[in-house]
Amino acid sequence: MPAVIELSGITKRFPGVLANDGISLAVEAGEIHALVGENGAGKSTLMKILYGLYQPDEGSVKVRGQRIVLGSPRQAIDSGIGMVHQHFMLIPRFTVIENVILGSEPARAGRLSLAQAREEIRELCDQYGFALDPDAELSTLSVGEQQRVEIIKVLYRGAEVLILDEPTAVLTPQETDDLFENLDRLRGEGKTILFISHILEEVLAVADRITVLRNGRVVGTVDAGKTTKPQIAEMMVGRPVLMDLEVPLHEPGEVRLQIDEAVVLSARGGLPAVRGVSFSVRSGEIFGIAGIEGNGQSELVEALVGLRPLASGKLTVLGTDATRAGVRPIRLMGVAHIPEDRHLRGLVLPMDVWENLILGHHTRAVFGRGALLDAPAIERYARERVELFDVRTPSLRTPTLALSGGNQQKVIVAREFGFEPSVLVAAQPTRGLDIGATEFVRRQILEARSAGLAVVLVSAMLDEILSLSDRVAVMHAGRIVAEFQRGAATPREIGLYMTGARQGEESGA
Amino acid sequence: MEFLLSLASVALLASAVRLTVPILLTAMGAVYSERSGVVNIGLEGIMIMGTFFGASVTHFVHIALTPEGGAAVVPALAPLAGMLAAMAAGMLFSLIHAVVSVTFRVDQIISGVALNLLAVGLARFLNILLFGVATQSPGIGGFTPWSIPLLQEVRGLTPIATGISPVIPAALILLLLGQWVLLKTVFGLRLRAVGENPLAADTLGINVVRMRYAGVLISGALAGLAGGYLSIEQGRGYLEGMTQGRGFIALAAMIFGNWWPLGALGASALFGYFDALSLRVVHTAIPYQFITVLPHIATILVLAGFMRRAIPPAADGIPYTKEET
Amino acid sequence: MTARTRLAILQVSAPFLAIGFGALVASFIILALGHSPLGVYGMMLRFSLTRSDSIAAILLKSTPLIFSGLAVALSFRANLWNIGVEGQYAVGAFAASLVAFTVRGLPTAVHLPLTILAGVGAGALWALLPIVLKLRRGAHEVITTIMMNHIAAALVLYLLADVFRDPTQAGTPRVRTPEFPDSARIPLLKPLLDLFGLRVPEHSALNWFLPIAVTVCVIAAYVLGRTRFGYEVRAVALNPSAAEAAGIPLSRTRFLMFLGSGAVAGMVGLSDVLGFFGYFDIDFPKGLGFLGISVALLARNNPLGIVPAALLFGFLDRGAQGVQVFAGVPREVITILQAVIILAIVVGYELVTRYVRMQRKLEAERMATASWEPAR
Repeated sequence: MPAVIELSGITKRFPGVLANDGISLAVEAGEIHALVGENGAGKSTLMKILYGLYQPDEGSVKVRGQRIVLGSPRQAIDSGIGMVHQHFMLIPRFTVIENVILGSEPARAGRLSLAQAREEIRELCDQYGFALDPDAELSTLSVGEQQRVEIIKVLYRGAEVLILDEPTAVLTPQETDDLFENLDRLRGEGKTILFISHILEEVLAVADRITVLRNGRVVGTVDAGKTTKPQIAEMMVGRPVLMDLEVPLHEPGEVRLQIDEAVVLSARGGLPAVRGVSFSVRSGEIFGIAGIEGNGQSELVEALVGLRPLASGKLTVLGTDATRAGVRPIRLMGVAHIPEDRHLRGLVLPMDVWENLILGHHTRAVFGRGALLDAPAIERYARERVELFDVRTPSLRTPTLALSGGNQQKVIVAREFGFEPSVLVAAQPTRGLDIGATEFVRRQILEARSAGLAVVLVSAMLDEILSLSDRVAVMHAGRIVAEFQRGAATPREIGLYMTGARQGEESGA
Repeated sequence: MEFLLSLASVALLASAVRLTVPILLTAMGAVYSERSGVVNIGLEGIMIMGTFFGASVTHFVHIALTPEGGAAVVPALAPLAGMLAAMAAGMLFSLIHAVVSVTFRVDQIISGVALNLLAVGLARFLNILLFGVATQSPGIGGFTPWSIPLLQEVRGLTPIATGISPVIPAALILLLLGQWVLLKTVFGLRLRAVGENPLAADTLGINVVRMRYAGVLISGALAGLAGGYLSIEQGRGYLEGMTQGRGFIALAAMIFGNWWPLGALGASALFGYFDALSLRVVHTAIPYQFITVLPHIATILVLAGFMRRAIPPAADGIPYTKEET
Repeated sequence: MTARTRLAILQVSAPFLAIGFGALVASFIILALGHSPLGVYGMMLRFSLTRSDSIAAILLKSTPLIFSGLAVALSFRANLWNIGVEGQYAVGAFAASLVAFTVRGLPTAVHLPLTILAGVGAGALWALLPIVLKLRRGAHEVITTIMMNHIAAALVLYLLADVFRDPTQAGTPRVRTPEFPDSARIPLLKPLLDLFGLRVPEHSALNWFLPIAVTVCVIAAYVLGRTRFGYEVRAVALNPSAAEAAGIPLSRTRFLMFLGSGAVAGMVGLSDVLGFFGYFDIDFPKGLGFLGISVALLARNNPLGIVPAALLFGFLDRGAQGVQVFAGVPREVITILQAVIILAIVVGYELVTRYVRMQRKLEAERMATASWEPAR
């Protein structure tokens, strides 16, 4: 079969990093070609080169046998290459039409031809079986629908090759099924698909061929039908990998965190985002909360740590009523918090490592003399934490913005595990981390459990929830719609609750 | 009672319409700039440049066109040149803001504040160079005012149907045009896109820097025009401080109008009315110093009352960096 | 030389480069006016630095600029934009004047502090509405403070001309308050400097507000740099969401910094009214609040940097007088020079910040990869 895209000897250097090191890759017309590798293996860099966002330092790109230079996304689009980004490149306040046509607008003398665009988008939707209302405002669509807009956007520009960057990261199992069906149909219509992922089950299920990257180099390309999960995992990591974490069984202790009939309002508009949630978490127990993002988990987490007031209901921490306590008292009671967005809530990026390590602890008596901060005491403490949690930083006086994502998360974990907390509220704790850092964070959470902390774990990654949690609750539309003991439900079953396809049943506990 | 009636007098309303224009034009400029994602606090300084260049170019063109002892050949030419010069000066001056805040990505508020500081000094300096004094230009003539043919005969309506500056209908046309451009054209869609999500626009091949320059330069042209209107049509000459904070009031009008040109009309009219009031109401128990600050008090009230309801463009005020990871 | 030292040198040299760039731009203007830039700058330097009356004048001029620059910097440090120092100091100076001439018969030890306190309180009071509206209603403080400037000017004019005008001046063109008793006037520095053998011209109004201003800067630097509160201010300014998640009260921190800014602004005009005029006049100096923005930007909001930045502006102001009188170059050239320096400095700081940030990232990456390999 002819290669639609042929990359040869692609090398890309960033200051201090060799992101792509002589990568050669041929993608054949009409195949689904998966590109797998750990974070930092060079997948994203390679795809950005193919999409014209980066220029390679060495090597060449051929499209349909023609050698071309991709200097900008515009040139990639003109060569028939389209990209569906992991973080959607969409504008919430625009309609579907406006989002799709942006940059390639049908127009007469500068005047938008919206009617024509609507018609063309309808036709594309019909052709590929996508259900979308072209006039809907994007912010009203579900994540799966928004992804469809991204795909339509690419098709609208006449793409023959579609690059999908981690497309399932944000989807439910059901939405993932729909996506794979759509990809199948696209392949049927002769499109070529480059599928980037690190979830091996998916790759094996959907791809025709799989190329594995490690440390910026190609490890090998294999037929999906002739390989196994452990094989690919070993190619990715370079050594045999233990796929599942060992979770020791033990009896949980006393209730440490309890929330009753909590109603929490959303930031915008003041509508309730959490509508009457109750649960309690015991010492030595991990309580996982699964759900599609935007179903009230973020607001629930903020309520648990005092960042958002409860409109009604009751919050009890270690037997004390903390409903109206606010952040600082709840922290001082021993509630640690790993926030979902480490750049937004977790760190003051321009501040140094030592300053971030005492954030929230800075009012403790050990760090001060009267109103003054005790610099030597803080330095001793910070040095100890950095060593204990293996934070790779040039010095304590390095701003955290200079650190890698994994090391930034280590700073947060090191800080939150300081001063012996009794409760841990962790939201999306491994988001955006590479496999090494993910393993580290998950092990820390399990260690917290062994040390007797009551842990609330919120994650959009279902496999993470299922592998770590003693109990799993599913949130949908601001309510807990189901609760299971460890191993009592399959991912598919939980997926049905996540989408609201099944709800209201009593917990399977 | 008489006092209350005077608050709605035709003369007052006519004056309000005239004073709405500079605020409206500047607010529209602010809409273009902020829709592209650039906060432009420097509009006041840009207006100042407009007032100065508008008046001085009008003055010199008038002298050049007027033969010794005779009347000007085409009377409208001098003010027209003045208006164009005011717009050009506004654009050039706003270019500084674009370079500093878009290209060099300096905080947009800082850049705007610096622009205002520069404008005051520059206007004084140039005025000394041209006219020997720091604070005012010689008197100038504006456009020949228009009248509305039938309406001007109606008793009582004369103040509002006569003495109309041609800039007023021009501003209204620009207003409708602005609304249409932002909503219905390729340019408008792209301008709004870089103000909402510049990264997304960039990946679709839209040149973010160029769109933002366009937004800032248009805002400069409109604020410059507003300044030209103030000095040529309202003040009949340049006077230091004649903008009276209208550049900032216009920002409030823009917020009130939810970042749409048509929306800004309402608030601009409100501020224009208070502005007119501050010039007209003389015979009251209230000391005149307080009457003069009515527009400023109204601005604070509007901001306090409506800020929460307004939603700025998502990337408004945030410099765009491509390479940031 | 280590990389760290190189970065430090770069950061320190940025303001000088900006001043140089500003001087270059102003040179073209001076050339266009038909003068020699070197001649004009030389005269400025000679006029400002070799005459003892000039030095005293620079220090006197710098005094309000230190207060004003610090006031602006305090708000900027909290990521708030107090453009209202102009109005706050007008109200502050008038309130102080009010206490100065209405209260009689108190000893200096009571009257003077009371007078200063009135200025400080009024300045803070004038900052109150904008910050409350900002925190409660989201009204942008840039616009509200500028509106408050206009209102302050009108209010002060009304109170001065219609209510508190010195009746003995009626019928003259002088619009001013009655004179203050000596008990409300700030002592001059001359006696002290004479003790050290430093020569100050006979009529210099250089007064104790200069050391007070410097002291306030030192206190501000100490509070912001060493205390818990200062740490919280930094966190709130650099990432309010993270500060909030750490339990730092956002509104209270911002409120206190903004009121502090207003309070310091209240002292801007006091050196002039209590040290020089001895009454509040309609020609009371204006524009010091806006100059304070320039001073703060040049000092990069560092309280200790405020003093040299204010001295530079004091020097430029004095030099402007010199070139106007002796070279016939309008002093507005210097105003433009100031504005260009500010534009250049904000661009310069931005570039340096980005460069430093990139160097720190490189350093961290090298560290992460270097230490990783031997460990495995």
